[in-house]
Amino acid sequence: MTDQLLSLLTTYGMPALFGILLVSAIGAPFPVMFVLIAAGSFVTQGEMKLWQVLTFASAGALVGDQIGYATGRWGGRDLVHRLTVRLGGEDRIKRAEALSHRWGGAAVFFTRWLVTPLGPWLNVTSGFTAYSWPRFVFWDAVGEALWVVLYVMLGKIFSDQVQGLADLFGSLSWVLVGIIASIILGWRVLRYFRTQ
Amino acid sequence: MSAGRAFRNNVGAVSRFVQKLKGFTWGQWAVLAAFLLIAGLTGWRAFHTVSRAIYWSHHRDEPIRGWMTVGYVAHSYRVPAHVLYEALGLPDRAAEKANGNTHERQTLHKIAKAQHRSLNNIVATLQDAIERARAPQPAAPAASPTSGAAP
Repeated sequence: MTDQLLSLLTTYGMPALFGILLVSAIGAPFPVMFVLIAAGSFVTQGEMKLWQVLTFASAGALVGDQIGYATGRWGGRDLVHRLTVRLGGEDRIKRAEALSHRWGGAAVFFTRWLVTPLGPWLNVTSGFTAYSWPRFVFWDAVGEALWVVLYVMLGKIFSDQVQGLADLFGSLSWVLVGIIASIILGWRVLRYFRTQ
Repeated sequence: MSAGRAFRNNVGAVSRFVQKLKGFTWGQWAVLAAFLLIAGLTGWRAFHTVSRAIYWSHHRDEPIRGWMTVGYVAHSYRVPAHVLYEALGLPDRAAEKANGNTHERQTLHKIAKAQHRSLNNIVATLQDAIERARAPQPAAPAASPTSGAAP
């Protein structure tokens, strides 16, 4: 997979970078962190221009995220609304919406650059719970720009260590997701023991 | 005496714990199992990440992979790119650029396909060339005509 993506990047340059980031923002499990770090290394080698890499990568991610949001808002929302009318469970949806309206901005921001594996999911759920679109775009743009700059600059600085760096950060982002999931589940288990 | 009491207290805590577990519903068991599974996997993954980071900090040269371009390998191993292009029988990219012939930056994966060779074969050729380029050289190669390709 990495071979093919890097082949696309080296052959077609910026349009490929835009496309890879877009498709992965929708949810394709591409090693996109690797692509960003490699692009940073190519900048150091004089093969690519920094401002182009930053612009095309951020734009691709931003457009992909909007597609996810739109799918949740205009696809999933109607469907689930029709189902809950028949089957009930509307209170759960209301609770999810309240949660999203309260924490939506922070959640969007941190899943852009820190807990990236959750990003595509959050796009859809943000749309689904009708989180304000202007706010979504704002936090999305800030977070994605930070993410792109972070990894491209890492690749630019450690330009001769792309493989090692990408392995390390790819692994680290999954450990972060695991830690968050463990805390949430562990807290629930603890509550089982305290009550009852 | 206090040791015996502590032992009895522990036994009491364990039996209370077991009692609670017995009262768990299926859903609660599922959450507990998910927690143990995810916490275990995360710990294992974290251990790997740390050991990898330690390994990485001690090995500056990274293994040559299919996604890399010849330019990247040269950059990573700090050898002149033209040496590697020559070893693979390819025109030097810097010279090609100067001639206005901008052929694409190919990954080793693609080069292997184009030359009908295995990736391992390409990697071996590159490693050979890198070793030769890094070996302390007698004065002659510095003045050889091929090294003047880059402007």
